[in-house]
Amino acid sequence: MGPQLGRTVHVVIVSMPVSHHHHRHPFHSILPVQMTLWPTLVVGHPWRITETGDQQLLLKLNLTLIVWIIVVICADYFVFGFVVRYTAAREREKAQKRLEAAASRTVSPMPKGKKGSNPQPKTPVRSGAATPSRGVDQRALDISALNLTEKEEKPQIIEEPPKISFAREKLLEEAKKALDAEGRNNKKNVSLVVIGHVDAGKSTLMGRLLYELGRLDEKTRIANERGSNKAGKGSFSWAWSLDGTTEERERGITMDIALQSMVTPHRQITILDAPGHKDFIPNMISGASQADCALLVVDATTGEFEAGFNRGGQTREHILLVRSLGVSQVIVAVNKLDQTNWDKSRYDEICDFLRPFLTQSGYHSSKTKFVPVSAMQGVNLATREGDDGKVLRSWYDGPSLVDCLDQLEPPTRDIYAPLRIPISNVFKGQGSGVAVSGRLCGGVVQVGDRLRVLPGDETAIVKTIDFEEENVSWAIAGSNVTIYLTAIDPVHLNIGSVLCYPNELVPLATIFTARVIVFDIQIPITTGTSVELFHHSRDVPATIANLIATIDRATGDIVKKKPRVLTKGISAEVQLSLRTTSLSGPSVVRPIPLEPFSVNKDMGRILLRRGGETIGAGIVLEIFG
Amino acid sequence: MKLVSRHVDKHGAGHITLRPEDDEDMWHLYNLIQKGDSVGATTIRRVQKTSNTGSIDSQRVRLNLTVEVNKVEFSSYAAPTSGGDTSASGEASGPSANPATTSLHISGRVTVENPHVKLGAFHTLDIETDRNVRIEKADGWDSIALNRVEEAILPGRGAEVGAVVCGEGTAAFCLLSEHMTLVAGRISVSIPRKAAASGTSQHEKALTKFYGTLFDGFVRHIPFANVGLKAIVIASPGWVKDAVFDYMLQEAGRRGDKTLQKALKEKGVKVHTSSPHVHSLVEVLQSPQIVSQLKETKFAREGIALDKFHKMLSSDELRAWYGPDHVVLAADRGAIGTLLISDELFRASDPETRKKYVALVEAVQQKGGEVVIFSKLNQLTGIAAILTFPLDIEVVEAEEREVEEERKRAEDEEGT
Ligand SMILES: Nc1nc2c(ncn2[C@@H]2O[C@H](COP(=O)(O)OP(=O)(O)OP(=O)(O)O)[C@@H](O)[C@H]2O)c(=O)[nH]1
Ligand SMILES: [Mg+2]
Repeated sequence: MGPQLGRTVHVVIVSMPVSHHHHRHPFHSILPVQMTLWPTLVVGHPWRITETGDQQLLLKLNLTLIVWIIVVICADYFVFGFVVRYTAAREREKAQKRLEAAASRTVSPMPKGKKGSNPQPKTPVRSGAATPSRGVDQRALDISALNLTEKEEKPQIIEEPPKISFAREKLLEEAKKALDAEGRNNKKNVSLVVIGHVDAGKSTLMGRLLYELGRLDEKTRIANERGSNKAGKGSFSWAWSLDGTTEERERGITMDIALQSMVTPHRQITILDAPGHKDFIPNMISGASQADCALLVVDATTGEFEAGFNRGGQTREHILLVRSLGVSQVIVAVNKLDQTNWDKSRYDEICDFLRPFLTQSGYHSSKTKFVPVSAMQGVNLATREGDDGKVLRSWYDGPSLVDCLDQLEPPTRDIYAPLRIPISNVFKGQGSGVAVSGRLCGGVVQVGDRLRVLPGDETAIVKTIDFEEENVSWAIAGSNVTIYLTAIDPVHLNIGSVLCYPNELVPLATIFTARVIVFDIQIPITTGTSVELFHHSRDVPATIANLIATIDRATGDIVKKKPRVLTKGISAEVQLSLRTTSLSGPSVVRPIPLEPFSVNKDMGRILLRRGGETIGAGIVLEIFG
Repeated sequence: MKLVSRHVDKHGAGHITLRPEDDEDMWHLYNLIQKGDSVGATTIRRVQKTSNTGSIDSQRVRLNLTVEVNKVEFSSYAAPTSGGDTSASGEASGPSANPATTSLHISGRVTVENPHVKLGAFHTLDIETDRNVRIEKADGWDSIALNRVEEAILPGRGAEVGAVVCGEGTAAFCLLSEHMTLVAGRISVSIPRKAAASGTSQHEKALTKFYGTLFDGFVRHIPFANVGLKAIVIASPGWVKDAVFDYMLQEAGRRGDKTLQKALKEKGVKVHTSSPHVHSLVEVLQSPQIVSQLKETKFAREGIALDKFHKMLSSDELRAWYGPDHVVLAADRGAIGTLLISDELFRASDPETRKKYVALVEAVQQKGGEVVIFSKLNQLTGIAAILTFPLDIEVVEAEEREVEEERKRAEDEEGT
C-alpha cells in the first residue's frame, strides 16, 4: 500500500531551522566547500485555523490549502536535505577534475589574500543547540531552506590554489572589488518578477510605476492612452508600456515576460512583468527563474482576491512556483483598493489571510512586505499625496511601494563559480550579430570571451554586453544581461540553451535522478507518468521513469523503496528521462544542460507539470548521460 | 489491408498472405511480424552475372524472397523542418494525395532457394504498399496475432483526423487513423520573444513567418481534400490556434484555394490544449468537439481506458494495479475487470514472454474481462489492470511468499 497522506502528515510551522554563519569560499565551486550546517530543531505544531467573525476568508482554507502549505514547507525545509550526502562524492570528483583543468590553463596563481576579503566571517558558528537569532541573511535563508547538510568529514583535498588565466584573474579581482563596493558608491542591483492572478493589475502597476519614476515619457504615455482608447481598451493604457505585442494589446492580456529596468534611490531594478494567465505559466517560470525577488500583485476587489486564490486561480500556484525556484523575498501589493473605497478592513483581511500562507510557503516573515496601492490612480507607488490618496493617508503611514522596492536584498553572487548563462531569449542584433538574453547563474563574463553553446558543438565570441540598458565590459553572477555574439550562426542559439566556458562545460542530461516534492495533485504519479520538465526557459517532455523511494522529509531517510505511486504531499526520489518528441518510430532524444543542485543551485532546480498543472518541484541529484 | 490468402489450422500452424495499402497497414505488419517468423515479399536486389566474355554485369532484378526474420524496423517521417530553410516555405505543393510517410524494413537470412540469391544470404526486405507479404509464424498464430489480422483487414481507409498541435513557433502535423497516430511532419521557427531590447517588431515578423511555414507544412502533410478525413484540428494553448486558423483561412482565400477553404470551414475544429507538445493529442481526442464528431478511434478508446485507470488509482488504490508482476498476480486471482496492455509487450518480447502475455489476455477475456491493447502505452510500464474487487498488493505478495515457502519446505521434506 502506498503511503497515505493522512497518516504521516502533521502541519508544521517552521521556525528558521538553520542558522549558519558561513560564507562562501572564494573557490567554493572549485574546491569542495568546507561548510557545516547545523540544522536545529524544527518546531512543529499543528496549525489550526481559527474561525473568527468576519474572517470568513479563513473558511476557505480547506484541506487542500493545508496540503499545499505542507508541500511547500517541506519543499523548502526538509525535502531537499541530505542531498549532499548523495552527491558529495561526485562533487569531489568534479572538483578534482576542475582543478586539473584549471592547472592546464595559462598560469597565474590566485593571490591568497583574496580569501580573507570576504564580507562575512569565515568561522562557521556551531549552533547545535539553538538557532541564534540574527538578521536574516539571504544565503543562510536559502541554504537552510534547502536544509543542505554538509558533513564535516569532508575530503581533505590539499588546497592547492587553482590556476587561472591572467586576464581572468584580473577580471575576477575587478569584479570582486565592484561587488564589495556594491551599494556604497553605486546602487545595488536586484531583479524582480511581478506575479499574480490574471488581471490583478501587474502590468498597470508597472506601467504606472515606470511613469512615477520618470522612466516613461509623456509622449509615450499619451500615445498609449490614445491607442488604447481607440482600441476600446482604455483601461489598459498603463499596461501598454509592458504589453507591447499586438495580440497582448488586442486581448488586454500579458502573454510573455516584459523586461524593463527602473531606478529607486538605492536600487537598480530589473523588472520582469509576468503573465498571469494559466496558459502562459511556462513564460512566467522563465521569468521567475531569472529573478531574486517577487512582487505579488493581488486584486482587492470583493470576490476577485478570492477567485485568484482559490483552486483554478494563479495566486497560489505563482507563490509556490516562485519559491520553488529559489526566490525568497516577496512584496505583496494589495491593488485596486480604490475599488473598495480604500477600505482598511479589506486590506487587513487580505494581509491576514496571505501572511500565514506566505510564511508556510517558505517565505520568512521578515522578507515578506505588504503595501496598499492603486495602480490605476497611482496611489502609494511613489507617494500617496493628492486627493486620491486622502483616505489611505488617514489609516496608513507605512512604506510606499517604492520604499519597499528600495530595500530589496540583492542576491549572493558567486563570481568564482563556473560561468552559466541559460538563454531566455534570442533575437537579431545590430548588423549581422545575434543577441541573447539571460541571467548569469554563476561566474563572470567579459567582452571578447569565447563561449560554448550547449547542447551542441558551437562556440561564439562575446562582442558586447548590455546590462540595465548600458554597455558594460563585463557582468557578474545574478545579472540579467543581453549579450551580442559573433562568430556563430544564429540557428545554433536556442532559448533554453546554456552558455559556458569551453573548459567548464555544463553536463548534458537525458536521464537523471531528482528529489521532488509532489504538489496538490488529484491523480497520483506512477511509473511512466508523462510530464513536462521545466528548467529555466526550457520546457521538454519527460517521463518519470522510476519511482526510486519515498523520503521522510524531516530526516531524509528512505521510507519506502520502489513505491507504486506518489500521492500529493509526498517527497520522493525519482528518475526522470527525457522523451522523444515523436509518437512512433525511432528518434533521438536531445539532452539538456543540467547540473546537480549541490554543484550549482540555480542550475539544479526543476519543475514538473502535467496537463497544465504544476505537479511537483525538485532538485537534480545525479546526472546519467 | 487486403487478405490475399489464409491457411491456418486450428493449432495456429500455417501462413497468411496480406497486401498492405497504406501507412496504417505498415503499422499492423510491424506488429504482426516477429523475430523468427518467415516472411516472403517481392524485393529488388542487385545481382551480378558473369557473361560469356568474362565481363561482370550488374543488374537490378525484382524477385520474391523469403527470409527468416532477424530484425523488424518501422519508421515514420518526422524530421523537423527548420523555418530557416527554403524547402519548407518555398515550393508549396498542391493538395497532395496521402503520401506514404512510413517505411518497414525486415531483415534476415534467405531461407528459400532462389536462382539469384544464395540460401543463407543476408537480405533486407523493404515492404511496399500494394505488394503481397506472406507470413509464417515461427511459433504458430496465437490469438493476439489472429485478432490483429482481423482488425487490419476491416475496410475503412486512411487517416480520419488531421491535427496540428502548435505552440508559438512550433507545430507538429499528425495523422490519426483508427490504429495509428503518426507525426507526419514538424516545423519549428525560432521566434524572438518580446523584450525591451529588441522591441516587438522582430517578434511579430517571426510570427508571420511561422504562420506561413505552418501553412505550407499543413498543405504538404494533411490530406485535407480526402473525403475520409473527418476533422481538421488546430490545437494549442493560449490563442495560437485562433491566429493560425484565421491565417490559414485568409491565406487559402488569397491563394484562391477553394478546396482548402471549404475543408477548413467544414472540418476545422479549434481545440485548447494545456501544452504545445505532441502528447496533447490525448487532450484533443478527449475534447467534446472531437468526441462528438468521430467514431471512436483506438486512440480515444485508449485514452478513456487510461483515464478510468487513473481515476481508480486516485479513488481506490487497491483496485488499480500496474507492472507485469503485479498484474499477473491479479490475474491469478481472477480479479481483472479491465486489462490495459501495450502491443509493444507482444512485439518486443521473446516467444516465452509473449506466450505469457497471450495467456494473460486470454484468461482475462475468458472471465469476461475487457482487454484494451494499446498502440503505445508508455506509461505504467506498459501493463495495468483495473480490478473488479479491491486487493492489497502487500497482502497478496505476502501470501505468495508464504505459498512459495510452503512449496520449498515440502520439497525439502520430500528430498530428505
Ligand atoms: N480600478 C482599478 N483598476 C485597475 C487597477 N489596476 C489595474 N486595474 C485594471 O485591471 C485590469 C487588468 O490590468 P492589467 O495590468 O492588464 O493586469 P495584469 O495583472 O497585468 O494582467 P495579466 O498580465 O494579463 O495577467 C485593467 O483593466 C486595469 O485597468 C487599480 O488600481 N484600480
Ligand atoms: Mg499584465
